[in-house]
Amino acid sequence: MTRTLLLLTGLIVTTSLRAETVDFQRDVRPILSDACYHCHGPDKESRMADLRLDQAKEVFASRRTGAPVVRGKPDESLIWQRINHKSPALRMPPVAAHKVLTDEQKLTLRRWIEQGARWEEHWAYKKPARPALPKVSQQDWARNPIDRFVLARLEAAGLKPAPEAPRTTLIRRAALDLTGLPPKPEEVEAFARDQTPDAFEKLIDRYLASPHYGEHRARYWLDAARYGDTHGIHHDNRRQMWPWRDWVIHAFNQNMPFDRFTIEQLAGDLLPNRTLEQQIATGFHRNAMTTNEAGAIEEEFAAIYAKDRADTTSAVWLGLTLGCATCHDHKFDPLTQRDFYALTAFFNNTTQPVMDGNIADSPPVIAVPAGEDRSRWEQLDSLRRELRDKLAAAHATADAGFEAWLRGAERRRTAAPFDAARQLFALDAPRTPATGGVYLTGSNVTGWPALEFMGQGLLELPNVQAMRLDQPFSISAYVRAPLDEGRFVIASQSDAGDKGRGWQIDISGRVPGMRITGDEGRSISVRGGFLVQLKPGAWNHLVFSYDGAGHPGSLTLYVNGREVEIAGRDNDAPGISGSINSGRPLVLGNEAKTYFHTGAIADFRIFDRALGAAEARYLAAWPVVENARGKDSAGLSPDERDALRTTYLLRHSTSYRGWVAQLNEVERLRTLVARRSPTTHVMDERPGQMPSAHLLIRGMYDQPGEKLTPDVPGVLPRMKPAYPKNRLGLAQWLMDEDHPLTARVTVNRMWQEVFGRGFVSTADDFGSQGEMPTHPELLDWLAVDFRESGWDVKRFYKMLLTSATYRQSARTTAEKQKLDPDNRLLSRGPRFRMDAEMVRDTALAASGLLKPAIGGPSVRPYQPEGVWEAVAMLGSNTRFYKPDTDDGLYRRSVYWFWKRSAPPASLDIFNAPSREICTVQRERTNTPLQALVTMNDVQFVEAARHLAQRAMLVTERDRARQFDFLGRAVLGRSFEAPEQEILLRSYRSFLNYYDARPEEAKKLLGTGASGRDDRINAAELAALTMVANQVFNLDEALNK
Amino acid sequence: MMKLPQHPHPEIIRQLSRRRFLGGATGLGGAALASLLARHTQAAPLPGLPHFAPKAKRAIYLHMVGAPPQQETFDYKPGMEAWFDKELPQSIRQGQRLTTMTSNQSRFPIAPSTFKFAQHGSNGAWISELLPYTAKMADDICIIRSMHTEAINHEPAITFIQSGNMIPGKPCIGSWIAYGLGSMNEDLPTFVVMNAMHTHPRANVQAISARLWSAGFLSGQYAGVALRSGGDPVLYINNPEGVPPEVRRQMLDGVGALNELEYQRLADEETRVRTAQYEMAFRMQASVPELTDLSKEPESVYQMYGEEARKPGTFAYTALMARRLAERGVRFVQVYHRGWDVHGNLPEVLPAQCKDIDQPVWALVQDLKQRGMLEDTLVIWGGEFGRTIYSQGRLTAKDYGRDHHPRCFSLWLAGGGVKGGVVYGETDEFSYNIVKDPVHVRDLQATLLHLFGIQHERFTYKYQGLDQKLTGVEKASVVKKILA
Repeated sequence: MTRTLLLLTGLIVTTSLRAETVDFQRDVRPILSDACYHCHGPDKESRMADLRLDQAKEVFASRRTGAPVVRGKPDESLIWQRINHKSPALRMPPVAAHKVLTDEQKLTLRRWIEQGARWEEHWAYKKPARPALPKVSQQDWARNPIDRFVLARLEAAGLKPAPEAPRTTLIRRAALDLTGLPPKPEEVEAFARDQTPDAFEKLIDRYLASPHYGEHRARYWLDAARYGDTHGIHHDNRRQMWPWRDWVIHAFNQNMPFDRFTIEQLAGDLLPNRTLEQQIATGFHRNAMTTNEAGAIEEEFAAIYAKDRADTTSAVWLGLTLGCATCHDHKFDPLTQRDFYALTAFFNNTTQPVMDGNIADSPPVIAVPAGEDRSRWEQLDSLRRELRDKLAAAHATADAGFEAWLRGAERRRTAAPFDAARQLFALDAPRTPATGGVYLTGSNVTGWPALEFMGQGLLELPNVQAMRLDQPFSISAYVRAPLDEGRFVIASQSDAGDKGRGWQIDISGRVPGMRITGDEGRSISVRGGFLVQLKPGAWNHLVFSYDGAGHPGSLTLYVNGREVEIAGRDNDAPGISGSINSGRPLVLGNEAKTYFHTGAIADFRIFDRALGAAEARYLAAWPVVENARGKDSAGLSPDERDALRTTYLLRHSTSYRGWVAQLNEVERLRTLVARRSPTTHVMDERPGQMPSAHLLIRGMYDQPGEKLTPDVPGVLPRMKPAYPKNRLGLAQWLMDEDHPLTARVTVNRMWQEVFGRGFVSTADDFGSQGEMPTHPELLDWLAVDFRESGWDVKRFYKMLLTSATYRQSARTTAEKQKLDPDNRLLSRGPRFRMDAEMVRDTALAASGLLKPAIGGPSVRPYQPEGVWEAVAMLGSNTRFYKPDTDDGLYRRSVYWFWKRSAPPASLDIFNAPSREICTVQRERTNTPLQALVTMNDVQFVEAARHLAQRAMLVTERDRARQFDFLGRAVLGRSFEAPEQEILLRSYRSFLNYYDARPEEAKKLLGTGASGRDDRINAAELAALTMVANQVFNLDEALNK
Repeated sequence: MMKLPQHPHPEIIRQLSRRRFLGGATGLGGAALASLLARHTQAAPLPGLPHFAPKAKRAIYLHMVGAPPQQETFDYKPGMEAWFDKELPQSIRQGQRLTTMTSNQSRFPIAPSTFKFAQHGSNGAWISELLPYTAKMADDICIIRSMHTEAINHEPAITFIQSGNMIPGKPCIGSWIAYGLGSMNEDLPTFVVMNAMHTHPRANVQAISARLWSAGFLSGQYAGVALRSGGDPVLYINNPEGVPPEVRRQMLDGVGALNELEYQRLADEETRVRTAQYEMAFRMQASVPELTDLSKEPESVYQMYGEEARKPGTFAYTALMARRLAERGVRFVQVYHRGWDVHGNLPEVLPAQCKDIDQPVWALVQDLKQRGMLEDTLVIWGGEFGRTIYSQGRLTAKDYGRDHHPRCFSLWLAGGGVKGGVVYGETDEFSYNIVKDPVHVRDLQATLLHLFGIQHERFTYKYQGLDQKLTGVEKASVVKKILA
């Protein structure tokens, strides 16, 4: 054995990262985790020999044959015996596990046992403490604490930091890291001139204050939040979500502290006195993909959505792969299946339906009024609150007049809820002529006479005045849904032979809806009340109120006197025009093939105006009034008293009537504002219900197990008792100062953005199978510092960018190639290929084509034909990609319309994720397909042409100055002499070609939608365009 | 093709391995150029792969999106005529779940196939009259009638059969193969995807998405490259108008020379790798037009594949292109043909769907055979699940439709180490449940890897701390009985 050890020792010496003393966290646990925990870890289902090697008490406990680990005595330790067992059948890990321990790993285990087998909890589950700054020998290098940690590590490895990068490199690196755009040539010059000692700090402050800072930061966050402009699954139709994207940009620009940033996104709707902005923020988890595939089983997709929200939350804030505990306990980390489902419970209590309806505004959504509308909206909101309070107060205060009226005769004479003259139609059920299949019956809810429909029964009522598209109207009725599930038309006045002209109201999938069809078969429709659900055989009161504007937002729906959430108010959808007069009778029941069998209708009325909330409530209560007619005032139930109170107030209180009218007007004005405002998807908690989730056995949606209340994973600190057990409590818990993960995971990700890789290279896995941090002390120091700074994001980047570590040149040496090949020790500055969006944005900015506007609806830059069509369903509204023709071509890539089943083609090639699921770490490959994009994509060719043209407008003849212009625009520096020479050689060969072929030059110059300056010589411009194309394709141009 | 002029550092370009060419270079830093150069120029499979001698070197997977009905293609159920419009017995349905498109149907009336079947090949395989060409090659193919899956709707089911998981985010089969076995050519992608058009205007078309050819957690270099029938065959492959190859060549010479100066400044090996990628791109620019230029295909080829093969985008064209890709060393060709989702109008739509593909798949198999390529080219034909024996919607003597059915479906394999003339597996008399030799989607995937010389349990990639496999965590078995 001793001889083997000697032989093996050689291995240790060659491994630069191995220290003499074995470190349990760094060296031992990863081996145990990878080789042993599958069968001897947290998952009880797959556990063998009833042995856990992830818990100290079992590792050191005596068993029948000895203890797995006997401190200081490897040869007595079962672990050592079994991993070296002579018999392959008994040797660990077993053959079937397909895991082999290397000699080096075995030796590490042996030395760990020899050295006393120190055991520690996994580092990431312990709260970070701020470590002292390490001592370093090179005293003049460190600029801030970051550098002390980095330098100490370098010195331990026998390396020196790289010299500071040239100023041109520094400004380009800083501009790209903070704004995602290259520095402007004049900024480069100003920085070169500024000899003050804090020139670089000032520069960084300027970039931090740029509105483009927020765009760049947001882009990383959009990957994590899986933001897209489509629903993602099946039809993959358009989804309006960009106000949330703009919220993120603004949050970064305002330097919103990360704790607020978190809390508002996870639970903004649950904050006291929530603002519109806080509601918009909750779009974070509405970014998840949804389906509307026919035949999809709702429970199955509800489980898929729940998993996505838990996985995303876990990856973004906890850095844990909690999703691995969907079907069984986690194999490697102490995360149970219960933990997983308890976490899903937090998000399970919102009003979002499973099926997205293939519409752009799948509920719950809110209108996001912009500019002046915003304050108007807020005024209207407070006015609405005021009026509602007044109305409520009128009902609540004692009123002798009302008491007298109750005893009087008038209420017994009141025949209609409102002035009958303003009623276009009222169904008089008892006097309705009998027809086949329609019977007079009563409502068991109110005692109201009703018409019941059997078989193919329907009721045609001719001579009902048709409504007009340009006039408001409302339809009100009590409806008993048929006993079957399906779609049923309740009432209609439409002509199938005239492309459906007219209107109809229906129930589909237990949800009421209305469609109004004007000229050319074009229609507007709404559906709403997903949470109320018109259950088969149950009576509900419906009011459809139409404002006379012919717009999808013109319809409001009240169920049982309350306004309900409506889907289909797509503000981008066209309105309708023309006539809705079908010339057909009003048909109750049904004229379509399913009929209204077993359904019933009572108190059907049509009004000549858009009814408001108070009136809808009153209509729903009207049968109660009718019912109470014969009763003595002393014998009235509270409901009856209240309904009668409404009758009294409407008839006898001028101020009450005035408030109702004002409220209607406020609602009308709100609708007008909403109609010209974008909508965005939000989360909204279900009222009167506690969040919960079922543990799904083996992760199967149709095998629900125990019902769980929301909770955080058991291995992490408990939620404080003061925190509510809902999303808000979860968010508060994440930001707790005792939380071991949130701060670490967040600073690691921010570091990754700048250096290309975090201290923990597995940004979404800080668990025992994740990578150990390269600089654990620095990670902890930054985490504590970030939290104690009040989660100040801009401060973090400033500290990072002003460090000596960041300012290093990217130049490598043979020694560094050997000892620090991947720059994990930070022995040089960060240099790597820019992300997809940066590559494109840089070309746009450098060429001068960029339209720098911030925010707004997503845009459609150039994309080859057929990319969407190749994957889309025929009925998808994102089947055809039509590039914009104006500014949209030149906006930043963060605004590119993101269809998730076919993300922007040129970005996709540069490793942009599809945004179908959460991505906290982009991949970075270099492929020939990428070369094809930057060489040939019209976006890049046009940028080259435009840049060349600008260079020629500066100087028509001086080639050197033209090249210089290109260099300063794209690379932030002038070309050196040998480079000039190469460029000139290229230029001459290009010019030779185009001089002889003016037609070819013209073709090249015709690329792109932006015009060209005809005064410039075409052959020369074509040649310089190709030089610019060359410059955009340099390794230096593609790297930051 | 024009001759390549001298490059600033041709040695590197020549010696960089194919694997490195296709990407993954960033993060490679550790492997200094020395180790890059040490690699062979040919395809570099992962160390230890293949695990054993492979039968298949390449595969062509023809996915019929929407799910062809097994009852009208390969799973002959003559007894069903007597059951016309009768209720599916409870003993057969056993309360199994249905999609919400039919779960509230009041009846489940049995719809026998209206199409005739006959026996073909030495083994007497029953094949429908809708597939006369396929029938001719009964001895070349292995029909599996006992496929089953876990998903009941298209999106999850397609994702499942392509990636081993119903939830998006896992690599698809082609990516796994590209990752494990590397490439066999110098200037084309390893894994190519094509979408073929269907012709019937009333066919019910399902969505597909880029996730189906995504590399998931594997490096993006292993994602499928779409070969398109319209516009640029490979996105951005064509130079802009007015830029001929010689101008591009001159431009690249300048890029190479300038990059070399950058390399001298910073000594970052990535810089040289990038130059190499640009050269690879340049070669692709020459080889893709050669690939898509069908002018040299003789008349006899069009007689085999049919006249439709002249029209870009048709299934016949795609099948011919698949052969050309296979010939040029593309390892995995994935073809999607949509329109098979016959919920209604089955008797009208299905014949057209079958006609789209029947002659071309026969031609493809025969063409591979005559070129001596069938023995190491695996061809796979099939959908993502089966269809119900009962009719969705109204059943008449002439019209019916079928809903999704995950419990059994038919699929065939040919070449690449699979026994021809085999009919494997059996379903009950209603083609509802499997009664013999079930083949789970995972078993198919395990078998496919096996044919490539890969033991599926040992072919893993570490992601989120787990050894991820195409076949996932549940048990999967190679279907030994169909191996040649």
